[in-house]
Amino acid sequence: MNITLAPYLFVLPNMLIFGIFTIWPAINNVTISMYDSTNGRTFTYAGTGNYTELVNSADFWAAARATVIFASCFVVLCTAAAVGLALLLDARLRGRGVFRAIVFLPVLLSPVVVGLIWGWIFDRRNGLANTLLGADIPWLVDGRLAMAVVIFVGLWTHLGFYALIILAGLQGIDPNHHAAAMIDGASAWQRFRYVTLPLLRPTTLVVIILSMIAGFQAFDFIWTLTGGGPVGATTLMVQYIYQNAFQSPIRYGLAAAGSVILFCTLFGLTLLNVLNDRRHA
Amino acid sequence: MSRSARKPLLALLAVLTLTACAPGGPDGGDTGQAEDRNLTYVYFTDGPDEAATRALIADFEKASGATVNLQVVPFANLEQQLQARLSGGNAPDVARLTELTPFRADLLDLGRFQQDALAGQFVEGATPAITGPGGELLAVPSDLTMNGPIINVAQFTKAGVALPDPAKPWTWAQMIEAAQAVQRANGTEFALAMDVSGHRFATMLSQYGTTYLNGETVTLDTARATAAITEFARLHETGAMPRDLWLQAGTKYKAANEIFLAQQVPVYISGNWQVSAFAKSAGFEWRVAPNPCGERCGGFPGGKFMASFRQSAHQELAAEFIAFMNSAESQRRLCREAAFLPTRRDLIASGVDYPSRPQDMGVFLEEVRRTPPDTFAANYSPGFGATARATVTALATVLTGDQTPEQAARTIRDEAQKAAVPR
Repeated sequence: MNITLAPYLFVLPNMLIFGIFTIWPAINNVTISMYDSTNGRTFTYAGTGNYTELVNSADFWAAARATVIFASCFVVLCTAAAVGLALLLDARLRGRGVFRAIVFLPVLLSPVVVGLIWGWIFDRRNGLANTLLGADIPWLVDGRLAMAVVIFVGLWTHLGFYALIILAGLQGIDPNHHAAAMIDGASAWQRFRYVTLPLLRPTTLVVIILSMIAGFQAFDFIWTLTGGGPVGATTLMVQYIYQNAFQSPIRYGLAAAGSVILFCTLFGLTLLNVLNDRRHA
Repeated sequence: MSRSARKPLLALLAVLTLTACAPGGPDGGDTGQAEDRNLTYVYFTDGPDEAATRALIADFEKASGATVNLQVVPFANLEQQLQARLSGGNAPDVARLTELTPFRADLLDLGRFQQDALAGQFVEGATPAITGPGGELLAVPSDLTMNGPIINVAQFTKAGVALPDPAKPWTWAQMIEAAQAVQRANGTEFALAMDVSGHRFATMLSQYGTTYLNGETVTLDTARATAAITEFARLHETGAMPRDLWLQAGTKYKAANEIFLAQQVPVYISGNWQVSAFAKSAGFEWRVAPNPCGERCGGFPGGKFMASFRQSAHQELAAEFIAFMNSAESQRRLCREAAFLPTRRDLIASGVDYPSRPQDMGVFLEEVRRTPPDTFAANYSPGFGATARATVTALATVLTGDQTPEQAARTIRDEAQKAAVPR
């Protein structure tokens, strides 16, 4: 066998699966976004009609606005909290393994279960939150509060995963850097600011990109928690796409166009992050 | 590989790729028919109907010598699964459906095989929905649901409030007055509750004298709808109805049965499917009440269909199966065992002897007779589902103060207009 072909043969099965289940549907989705169909079988060519309709839709912009609010808060809070939590989990504490397991536990839960559990907790009448606080806070009834709850639940669900990534990054930092800084008289804050943070930059970038993608694609736990309400306050882009694709009146083309826009947004933001990181590296 | 052989192969690959990327076209005509007598039936269950359906299938198999592969799917995935199967040329022979619009072009004309057994046998309001442009019989309404109030008798008795007479329905004002008196006497959180559903609200709309649609025509009278929404909002503002229920549900369906079962509301507007559930789960005395009358009386219908597909390779047998499952005898049995309402005209006229909660089912059946025909037309309209969903959002905006009842009525009308004509 020609030795130069060997690596390609090894990756071929994976590439085939990736191509069939990711690349081809993605390309097909772009095609569908230029057609109108209500049943997935009869298609009418619509050109850029679906995109125009989306741009002129108030519901689309409401979903886009809610998505940006959710994703921005989610990324910032996730990254900051993950770094903080990872530093705590990295400290020499008794029972550290147990803490790590507890922090990671929510990641293992089904998003549907997460949504249902927090829905019960934040129920205004019978929820645990109001019972413990002895208050009557309309958690899921007021739009802004509902968005705050959704961000909090998103954070609770995903934080363990991102903290684990940062923790891996922390443990990859050569302890000699800290030792050298200590010898030079750097305080704990200075060591964190000038040693830990810069060396964590690549790991943090991974967390930012992953949390950004998760933030823009959030759907499952929100659907079970708020159903996108109240009055669309927590209807994000993926729910908007889902509703167009799977709820009557079904509009596959419109949903596909929404997916293309979401993909382009995520791709652009990821690219910006990577380029920005390279510029500062 | 030689250069000459490579070119045609590349061209073939390009054609295949382009073909794969292009969306599919409409299906062809009917398929060839198979020799065997094996049917597939895609079905979702409401719960108590599954056992009765399985028993009826067993009877059909015994009588016909056929076998029926019952494929139970989650209701939420029904439409996607069927569309995927139709796209893949793998349609089931028979399916239980809630909406016909997405499949209309794919449905088999059952009249070709079972005209005598099926044509003209079912509730008249469904006729436009189940009939094709050339008079084809595209589906059979297989069961009927009816919205209506359910009341906590124990709380009414404690409050000394008279129970409504099934023969002489109360008015909206009387129902609210009674519910609030019972609320005060029992200290319940609310007086009235209604499921978070545009379908359930359609009941109130009908009683206020209007419906969303009639076929592909929008019929919503915005003045009447405004009056209904105003009353709906007032009941929520005063705390007579649970405002949070509608807002916390978002765009999802949410039943208020938990509030009723917790005895926190004496009057609960839902539907006949609650009867068999409450018979098992309610730890207090309850009964079905007649719908309140406004400009009109009666409730609001819903229901499911049975249909076959042009892709089916067992068309004749599928039609025979549908005819069997919807014969008077089969429907009577299903209704008795699952506490369903019949769709057959003969059974609606004669009634069904329900073994459990016969009085309550009798009240619902009486409501079927009182229900205005245009509500059937509305429920079976292609745009009903989308309009009902939009109604939930519009009503929530009224409860949050983002829209006035007049604006909400206009919004619902606009949404009905968009949804009315299938694209």
